[in-house]
Amino acid sequence: MSLLYDSYTIFWRELKRYKKSRSGVLIRLIQPAIWIIVIGNTFAGTQPLIQSVGFEGQYIEFMAPGVIILTAIFTSIFGGVNTLWDRRYGFMNKALTSPISRSSIALGKMSAISLIAALQASLILGIALAIGVTFPNPIMIAPIMAIVILFSLGFSGISVMVAATAKSQETFWGIINFLGMPLFMLSPALFPLELLPEWLASVAKLNPVTYTVLLVREMMTGVSEGGVPALLSIAVISVFVLIMVGLASYVFTREVNKPF
Amino acid sequence: MYSIETKSLSKSFGDLKAVNDISFTVQEGEIFGFLGPNGAGKSTTMMILTTLLKPTSGQALVSGYDVRANPKEVRQRIGYVQQETTVDEYLTGRENLILQARLNHIPKDEIDKNIDEVLDLIELSDKQNEAVVTYSGGMRKRLDIAGGLLHRPKVLFLDEPTVGLDIQTRRKIWEYIKKIHTEFDMTIFLTTHYMEEADQLCDRIGIIDSGKIQVIDSPENMKSAMGKEVISLVIENGEAQTKFIEELEKIQLVNKINHDNEKITIFASKGTEVIPKIFQISSDLKIKINTISLTSPTLDDVFISYTGHEIRDEGGFNRKKEHAKMKRLRA
Repeated sequence: MSLLYDSYTIFWRELKRYKKSRSGVLIRLIQPAIWIIVIGNTFAGTQPLIQSVGFEGQYIEFMAPGVIILTAIFTSIFGGVNTLWDRRYGFMNKALTSPISRSSIALGKMSAISLIAALQASLILGIALAIGVTFPNPIMIAPIMAIVILFSLGFSGISVMVAATAKSQETFWGIINFLGMPLFMLSPALFPLELLPEWLASVAKLNPVTYTVLLVREMMTGVSEGGVPALLSIAVISVFVLIMVGLASYVFTREVNKPF
Repeated sequence: MYSIETKSLSKSFGDLKAVNDISFTVQEGEIFGFLGPNGAGKSTTMMILTTLLKPTSGQALVSGYDVRANPKEVRQRIGYVQQETTVDEYLTGRENLILQARLNHIPKDEIDKNIDEVLDLIELSDKQNEAVVTYSGGMRKRLDIAGGLLHRPKVLFLDEPTVGLDIQTRRKIWEYIKKIHTEFDMTIFLTTHYMEEADQLCDRIGIIDSGKIQVIDSPENMKSAMGKEVISLVIENGEAQTKFIEELEKIQLVNKINHDNEKITIFASKGTEVIPKIFQISSDLKIKINTISLTSPTLDDVFISYTGHEIRDEGGFNRKKEHAKMKRLRA
């Protein structure tokens, strides 16, 4: 049978597990909810700074897309951790001794993680709407979610790759925390790129998170900033995702063939 | 064609030879068991046969396919039930089996039928829609075993199938394994460190210790080769001990003697006639016998005679060895 069928088997299992862990769904929402409510209101006074770069709305409207991406980043970059459990508690060996291919395990995990990340992000979007963020064009929700899923696929690739390589939880969390926060902070998620020093801004321009935040913010608020056209953003995200998915499948296959 | 065939199979982790030049064959439809202490190389051998580890040297064929050259062919023909229970706790029993069925490419229209059949066999039909988290240890193990045979593999691998279960549950699992074997007519390869398990289930046993096979035979042959009876002695330690054993060996009916300081085990064909002779020798040499007993040989005795130690004596020593192995694997 096909790679698609096998990936779907793993995808189905991951989603079943997600569905049964209801407390996990809520716990994972706490942090981004705090971000949007606390930081959103704390920095409300920075509105003039935002306006100086051409953004007319409230600060909370500016940062809401950033927090949606934050949710997507962290849900997906943490999502691969169960790979370690699978290897420790035998599910991985069960899958490895079955006829399915190694890369279908990685692909199934990645697609499940990115869908879960998008679900979590949509809950945060709900919270944002509930606390007064307005949405000029509600139809945009569908393409925004599509972008979030695509973007999360790339980050789930990072997660699966690190989890397959790391032999312990400590190593995994060490690497993931080292990657996650800087990638988020080095983007216009909380403040416009124009306010960053020149050298930081140019580093941020190498970060795929930057393009995702710009794109989602443009879709949510209708304001384009930083002179980055939407098509360029889509292209950067797509290339990033393609590389990550390919690399993750390769690294995963190589690593799980080694004894754990 | 053999179900399993290995030729000089070896696996090293660094300078530790976990599996050392093992050659054996398993017939189709046979229940074959590897008996040995923890760290003897049983699980490593099984991991090679199930394509999880690549051998350092030698060859292994499962169902006619080389595990190194054709792992995909091998994977299509085997079921593997691991030592730890690996069922997903949050899924129901049935969902676990659906997952297993899809992993093993059972055609869609046969999945339900196969699942119903194995659920019936392992007597879990009434619990199938409950989350595994509510299952007892024995039920989880049964579900795991069910998952391994769902796709009717040609060879079923069971790694320590009853480790950590209480004795009643263990007996129950043995019944299931026998039932599976008769109903589905598959080759079963299992590892165990329980004598009774090997004795109860296996057509043939390979005793494995320190990565090497010491002997392969049926449990019955092994026991009868030991002689009909076992005389166990505990004597007072003394200088005449060596002389005492030499004299014992001269008794015609004695087949074999093992001794470990003051403990002496004598395998003999007519124990009741040997015992008076033992007393004769001991009084000549002025050796004091503290206790003496006469029993039929068990697989324990067979094990000791081939490896020179009891299976449970190994715990401490091998834990160290296992630890060293794990460290190497992680490095």
